[in-house]
Amino acid sequence: MKRYVYINDDESPTQDLYCDNRISNRKYTVWNFLPKNLWEQFSRFMNQYFLLIACLQLWSLITPVNPASTWGPLIFIFAVSASKEAWDDYNRFLSDKKANEKEVWIVKHGLKKPSRAQDVRVGDIVWLRENDEVPCDLVVLGTSDPQGLCYIETSALDGETDLKTRGIPSACTGIDSELLHKIKGVIECPNPDKDIRRFDANLRLFPPFIDNDVCPLTIKNTVLQSCYLRNTEWACGVAVYTGNETKLGMSRGIPEPKLTAMDAMIDKLTGAIFVFQIVVVVVLGIAGNVWKDTEARKQWYVQYPKEGPWYELLVIPLRFELLCSIMIPISIKVSLDLVKSLYAKFIDWDIEMFDQETGSSSHATNTAISEDLGQVEYIMTDKTGTLTENKMVFRRCCISGTFYGNESGDALKDVRLQNAVASGSPDVIRFLTVMAICNTVIPVQSKNGNVLYKAQSQDEEALVQAAAKLHMVLFSKSGNLLEIRFNASAIKYEVLDILEFTSDRKRMSVVVRDTRDDKIFLLSKGADEAILPCASAGQQTRTLNEAADQYAQLGLRTLCLAWRELKEDEYQEWSLMFREASSTLVDREWRIAEVCQRLEHDLEVLGVTAIEDRLQDGVPETIEMLRRAGINFWMLTGDKQNTAIQIALSCNFISPEPKGQLLLIDGKTEDEVCRSLERVLLTMRITSSEPKDVAFVVDGWALEIALKNHRKDFTELAILSRTAICCRVTPSQKAQLVELLKSCDYRTLAIGDGGNDVRMIQQADIGVGISGREGLQAARAADYSIGKFRFLKRLILVHGRYSYNRTAFLSQYSFYKSLLICFIQIFFSFISGVSGTSLFNSVSLMAYNVFYTSIPVLVSVLDKDLSEKTVMQHPQILFYCQAGRLLNPSTFAGWFGRSLFHAIVVFIISINAFAYEKSEMEEVAMVALSGCIWLQAFVVIIETNSFTVLQHLAIWGNLIGFYIINWIVSTIPSSGMYTIMFRLCSQPSYWITIFLIVGAGMGPILAIKYFRYTYTPSKINTLQQAERLGGPILSLGNIDPQQRSMEKEVAALSITQPKGRNSVYEPLLSESPSGTRRSFGSAAPFEFFQSQASRLSSSYSRNCKDN
Amino acid sequence: MEGKETHGSVGGASTSSSSSATKKQSKRPKYSRFSQQELPACKFIVTPTVVISTFVAIAIVFIPLGLASLFASDNVVEIVHRYDDLCLPESSTAVQHIQSKDSNKTCAAKLAVSKAMKGPIFIYYQLDNFYQNHRRYVKSRSDKQLKYKADADDTDSCSPEATTDKGPIVPCGLVAWSLFNDTYKFVVQNKVVDVNKKNIAWDSDRNHKFGSDVYPQNFQSGGLIGGAKLETSKPLSDQEDLIVWMRTAALPTFRKLYGRIEGDLQVNDNIEVVVENNYNTYSFGGKKWLILSTTSWIGGKNEFIGIAYLTIGGLCLFLAITFILIYVLRPRQLGDPSYLSWNKQSPMP
Repeated sequence: MKRYVYINDDESPTQDLYCDNRISNRKYTVWNFLPKNLWEQFSRFMNQYFLLIACLQLWSLITPVNPASTWGPLIFIFAVSASKEAWDDYNRFLSDKKANEKEVWIVKHGLKKPSRAQDVRVGDIVWLRENDEVPCDLVVLGTSDPQGLCYIETSALDGETDLKTRGIPSACTGIDSELLHKIKGVIECPNPDKDIRRFDANLRLFPPFIDNDVCPLTIKNTVLQSCYLRNTEWACGVAVYTGNETKLGMSRGIPEPKLTAMDAMIDKLTGAIFVFQIVVVVVLGIAGNVWKDTEARKQWYVQYPKEGPWYELLVIPLRFELLCSIMIPISIKVSLDLVKSLYAKFIDWDIEMFDQETGSSSHATNTAISEDLGQVEYIMTDKTGTLTENKMVFRRCCISGTFYGNESGDALKDVRLQNAVASGSPDVIRFLTVMAICNTVIPVQSKNGNVLYKAQSQDEEALVQAAAKLHMVLFSKSGNLLEIRFNASAIKYEVLDILEFTSDRKRMSVVVRDTRDDKIFLLSKGADEAILPCASAGQQTRTLNEAADQYAQLGLRTLCLAWRELKEDEYQEWSLMFREASSTLVDREWRIAEVCQRLEHDLEVLGVTAIEDRLQDGVPETIEMLRRAGINFWMLTGDKQNTAIQIALSCNFISPEPKGQLLLIDGKTEDEVCRSLERVLLTMRITSSEPKDVAFVVDGWALEIALKNHRKDFTELAILSRTAICCRVTPSQKAQLVELLKSCDYRTLAIGDGGNDVRMIQQADIGVGISGREGLQAARAADYSIGKFRFLKRLILVHGRYSYNRTAFLSQYSFYKSLLICFIQIFFSFISGVSGTSLFNSVSLMAYNVFYTSIPVLVSVLDKDLSEKTVMQHPQILFYCQAGRLLNPSTFAGWFGRSLFHAIVVFIISINAFAYEKSEMEEVAMVALSGCIWLQAFVVIIETNSFTVLQHLAIWGNLIGFYIINWIVSTIPSSGMYTIMFRLCSQPSYWITIFLIVGAGMGPILAIKYFRYTYTPSKINTLQQAERLGGPILSLGNIDPQQRSMEKEVAALSITQPKGRNSVYEPLLSESPSGTRRSFGSAAPFEFFQSQASRLSSSYSRNCKDN
Repeated sequence: MEGKETHGSVGGASTSSSSSATKKQSKRPKYSRFSQQELPACKFIVTPTVVISTFVAIAIVFIPLGLASLFASDNVVEIVHRYDDLCLPESSTAVQHIQSKDSNKTCAAKLAVSKAMKGPIFIYYQLDNFYQNHRRYVKSRSDKQLKYKADADDTDSCSPEATTDKGPIVPCGLVAWSLFNDTYKFVVQNKVVDVNKKNIAWDSDRNHKFGSDVYPQNFQSGGLIGGAKLETSKPLSDQEDLIVWMRTAALPTFRKLYGRIEGDLQVNDNIEVVVENNYNTYSFGGKKWLILSTTSWIGGKNEFIGIAYLTIGGLCLFLAITFILIYVLRPRQLGDPSYLSWNKQSPMP
């Protein structure tokens, strides 16, 4: 499907075909809010259940209490969720309105007119000034720049803060700005999609405008909605996508709501309670009918009719159903929603998770899944930008066989290189030229004469910066003309074509013409395995291979630089093909890649650069701590194997020999991969019982085979292995791996920073995005965004753990209190002729769940069982959350038993203490209710670990509130408890009964708690006790400075000097250039890492031999 | 090598940059103790000292309280007389006797006062196996009708005793209809004792729940006669027996106040009671008692509270002693790191 956009044509039929530029993020309108919101709320099972109960209560024959006791809370709860939705929607409406009414300039009939953003139609020409926000997706037709370029900032779209260049299509070059307003034409473009990196379209201008050839359009010719025009006086463009159909609008989606493991457990427990309730109802219903037929007929004062209506048998069971309906607490959903949003707020507010460097605080986009953080079992992490800073620094290089920077660790300070530059060594000059030219960096002259670089790729910026430091300065780029300055002399190049970088090609090239002698050059740079196969046949690539390998061993990112001189006719011929490929609409990317391939051959490889990407602060500690917390780490990276392993080693991901062991899954063919997988699995089964860090390493190719043909084996391997490194994996493979672990019922957390992590982040139970240098794409898709990787430990150990503990208490407590009052009702039915009388009056029943018992428990969100410091010292304690020790059927059974016990205590004591002449129903009811309130307050007290002012306030305030409310209600004659509370409070026997209930109810609970706490303490208890004793807790459990020693080991190594090695330790993890790699990869599928030293040196020497 | 400086600077980096980023402070979350979850808190830990002293304290409070309650209950003098079985003629069955209009339902009994009773002495009747809390029964009343004259027609909830052909029944419903109608006359030392039947109902009920301008209408005039009849000339607010009866009991065994004897009774006084045995409890096997009782600060004779207090207090004492013994015999260090087993082996979930 295509759309045809007629430029500047008011009569065109397409005008009305497409929507206007009104942005709408709203979910509701004023009219459909109520029905739509109610429909949404009632699609939840719980709400349907409550509605059914509420409707049944309208039948006065069976209702035990006033229907208001259910309708009140129901309406209250619905109102709360509905107003939350309404408020959110209103805010969305306001921000939409602001955007829609923004002033933009639209060209109509050749004149610029100010207008509102929402009035832009497809085909209109929009005129932008500097620093204007782009109102919709435009194709640029003209700019103030003579070359037809403009600069835009796309941070709102993809989070990248650097400027990007956009240019006008070739057909529009040279059109005068006056004429531009009257331009007519047609753009053939695809239907709206959400790919912000692609726009394959064609433009044809109508006469009288110059050539009416089809002119290809790419994303380079567009400026998308929400970008800003920078460094350009003006630009104008034609609207192609508007409103919600823009690229930005299309990529806005409502993500699937995620359900936490805890929610699932609560749902299960609710289901169990529901079944229990049905059983109770059936049993009591039958008992009631039997009693009615045997006993009640004799009770003349009840006057049971001889013959009842047909539904008579149903009446008593239905009454019990209504009596028992409070077993499922109506307030639990609201309470949980409330505390969950508070958990999220605590994350937002946390000062310790505030990133000073970027000024960004942590943010919980998804407010509903904080408990899951405490139950994470697997963390899938990206490498670049997540573990590392993504701040590239040029460190070493190898130019035509000479290594620079090996001694000092910084090639820029290497005197030999400086000398070579000074003496004008042609190899070095050419190398520097490629570094400076072969990129898409934009130089910007600042006011004080310095040149600033704006780059999309951190690697490119690092290279250009390094070249500039070596006196090869990329000075300016204007249009196709590019100027570099070497020492004092300016050299101008004309950029003919850019063969862009794609992750499939793994290289990029530029074709330039040297203006001094009109020679045409192809300059390329790319990954070693992408460049070296294209090297000219005669060239020796051994040293280059070596260099690339050696750098990778150090965890440096390598790029090979190459060049070739092109003949004029060769270029012209190729240029035609390239142009044709560029204007295809179908498979354009693939076609271009194919054409590029035709030019990129017989390259003269100049050398290898090595760029360091430093580890972020605190990464090793964080990984170490989270691994001790029992979380398994998988690294999923698109980087090469050696670099990945190096990073993994340096950040405690895997341990060096003898503690750690790496197993490689590899193979040239499918069979070999399969065999290797089996062998790894075998070893893994054997070693899984040993206290050894075993990790497996797999690359994208082997992974694809493993996932496709040997899924079962691989799944077993995934379960057995605590650590894995997956390198060279694509975004979709990352997502597949997450899916795999999820299918084994593991809680997964995916953390990443770039667009390539988005799918994995969305797939995982919890997605964490690092708002880093690769933009905000990942952070936007994620449930949580944090500034630095090291905040992850606080996010999980502090916020996740507390959230889990708190919700565990809150949810079970909610059931406890509902069951408590329900059990009393059930017991009462045994002494009221199993007729379904409610002991409590309507007011009490309604207020019990909503007011009396919900406030003290809500402040349990401030409870901390252990201090943050202790948790950080003993991350193992997370195990209790991970394994769900605090909320599971057995803990729930404990709470169930407790509510049964308390119900018995309250019931027995109140009916016996208020027996005979005092056995007045309203009084007994209030005694029992007060007993419940007091008991639940003490249960909160005994289950709270730390009391803050707010907790005291809530608990005691609630008790006082209970009496005040009841005194007020007691003054109303029709309330069903008129004067009761005043009478009771003036009787000593009331207070003595309450005191007795508290003593009898809490004594055993305290005794059991004490006994378990002291004689069979859980580890949490032990730590609480240790905390109480004060002082430093256990030196044993502290983090041993393991990673430090390892660094020293690496540092002490001099890589350039191959040591004597033991040939037994044939390394398997060295990665050599593509041609030779597979041949020895599977020779020894798993072996031990003897040590850092032997591994490094042996792999190095082996490569020497092989090449 | 550069790796060294990178990783070496780890811990300190988070604090060192704080001064440099002052211009970005605006986004920084505001500090408050609440938002950082750092509110000062006191921790509650069940240490042996705390728990043992709690239990000892409970025991110390509960045992005297229990003794006091028991003492109070013991001081209450109570004369309990069951008469439902004594007042039956041998000729006919109980139900026939009670339902017959002609049979003589008067019966006499002699009660001995074993302990001196100080006035006022409360006279109760006690019923057993009578479900005033049955759902069908307890709902069968109209509080509006009892209070307001204009609401005489408000009888929707009163079925099956709602209306007659002559109009609505006031007071309607099963509760009123089944009003207890046994009467007692007391003769002490051959002297008739006045039974004070004033103020036996709650003030609040008399003043606010039963209207002083509401008079009985069509009451007990239907085919079925339940219990007592009411004087039509007395407003409901003065029908104290009805008001007492309408306070439904929570238990199937209950006592209701019949009246008061204002004078004292001496030891060995003989009380002759003449019971008018009208109320039918025979058809459902319920028993009837007549009770004369004094009162104390916790109410009537009820040993439950005292015994319960003593039990709980004793139990707490026992627990405290047990815990002390265990604490002495098997001392256990709190917060002992050796219980943290992960220090010995790597944890594997």
